[in-house]
Amino acid sequence: MSKEDNLNKNWKKDFPIEKQQATNVSRRDFAKFLTLVSGGLMVGSGLVAAKAYMFPKEEVEGEHFVCKKEEVPLGGTRGFVIEGSTIPYILIHLETGEFKAYEQKCTHLSCSVFYKPGTGIIHCPCHEGSFDAKTGDVLGGPPPRALPSLDVFFKDNDVYVKATTHQEKLG
Amino acid sequence: MSNFRRGQNQSNPNKLNAILSSLIFILILNVSIQIWLLYAALNNALDNNKEILIPAFIASLILFLIGFGWLYYLPTGNTNTKK
Repeated sequence: MSKEDNLNKNWKKDFPIEKQQATNVSRRDFAKFLTLVSGGLMVGSGLVAAKAYMFPKEEVEGEHFVCKKEEVPLGGTRGFVIEGSTIPYILIHLETGEFKAYEQKCTHLSCSVFYKPGTGIIHCPCHEGSFDAKTGDVLGGPPPRALPSLDVFFKDNDVYVKATTHQEKLG
Repeated sequence: MSNFRRGQNQSNPNKLNAILSSLIFILILNVSIQIWLLYAALNNALDNNKEILIPAFIASLILFLIGFGWLYYLPTGNTNTKK
């Protein structure tokens, strides 16, 4: 027997699985893998619940000055950040004369939203999402939730914001 | 040496196929429900609705335990039919 023949014979004995077979996944392994995924999803659900109960989202506390009334023209907007927080907000002066304040992050993928003057619509340019500027509700597009809002109130000519009270959220 | 189980497996080799296929089908079903639960839980958590989170987690846990229990019925295959 030549050396080559001997080598050929022996490596086949040492590695009895064909290359193609080695990449096959048996249904048994697939079932086990599915159970692993199932466990992962269960842990994920648990983490979501734990995060929500142990580290709740910080609410805006107190009243915060934004700007003077005349600094925002009718149909105009002004971005602002509350002290001690990095969340961007926009103050909108609607054509009806009302002032509204919303979080500027789209609830879909956190792109910045902007107000389209004259339409009453807050628009997200990333995936064409739109929100109602009066309530923050979703009008169309992929966003799953309404924009979080802040209550706007006035002291003389100054515009202030504070956290939305719970009753108003439900209503 | 042959026994009852082996004899059964030899005369009905398709049985394993049916068992494995239904097992995988149910596991996929469970995982789909869990994905939906996680999605719903995440959306509600971001919206500050906490009531749904614990039930979603418990449902997910039960589905996982069902799937894990199923693995007990995972057939080991017909060892004697190998060449």
